[in-house]
Amino acid sequence: MHEHTRRWRPDRVEGFWWFMFANGGLVAALFLPVHILVQGILGPLGVVPAVDQHYDSFAAAMANPIVKLYLFVIISLPFFHVAHRLRFFLIDLGLTVAQRPLKYLLYTLAVVATLLTAYVVVTVP
Amino acid sequence: MAAADEPTATYRPALGLGWWARHRHYLLYMVREFTPIPFGAWLVWFLVEISRLKNGPDGYVAHMSTGFVVFSVLVLFFALWHSITFLSLSGLIVRLPMGDRVITGRPIAALAFGGWLVVSLVVGFFLVWLGHA
Repeated sequence: MHEHTRRWRPDRVEGFWWFMFANGGLVAALFLPVHILVQGILGPLGVVPAVDQHYDSFAAAMANPIVKLYLFVIISLPFFHVAHRLRFFLIDLGLTVAQRPLKYLLYTLAVVATLLTAYVVVTVP
Repeated sequence: MAAADEPTATYRPALGLGWWARHRHYLLYMVREFTPIPFGAWLVWFLVEISRLKNGPDGYVAHMSTGFVVFSVLVLFFALWHSITFLSLSGLIVRLPMGDRVITGRPIAALAFGGWLVVSLVVGFFLVWLGHA
């Protein structure tokens, strides 16, 4: 084999971010619109009661570990989708420098947001 | 002339900052790429609301302001855009082996949109029903 020939191997770390991007995108696509509609629009307008409008109903729901796990998944996974899309959105806009630091910054923020989400859903009453 | 095993220079065309405004399809592509940013901001807002439960019954404040509703309407627009474009692509990406056939295209997309409808109805029911409780 010639010494200049490079062996190309799959970048498993990059593959992991694409995996998280795809899963976060699917979770966001399936679950977020109804949350935004009910909790962000119909509930505050008084069209329907929403679980998060009152402390008693929200705290009672959050006491269920399944609700905690559900909220952890639908909040944390989309953050990876946001990070990945924002990375390539900025590159598409013409960002030609600091692409590697940007990648590390955005994925680190997604990991921090995931840890913060876990902390919040576990520690609330 | 360079030898076959020597690295060659790669030509990378410079598109300029405003390339996405030159054609409708470019613009729609960039809007699609932008869609997660608003719902990411909405999720941060939601996380702040959940964390307010620590303040107890007297300190808890739900997001109810007009500004939040306007913000949510804008976010819903981008979230729906994301859902429609993302689930539409499932028909192109997913290939489901069924014996000697492979299911792809419209049946897969229909399954994805059907799943979205079911999930929305179930989650919406619980969000409202738990609000009654």
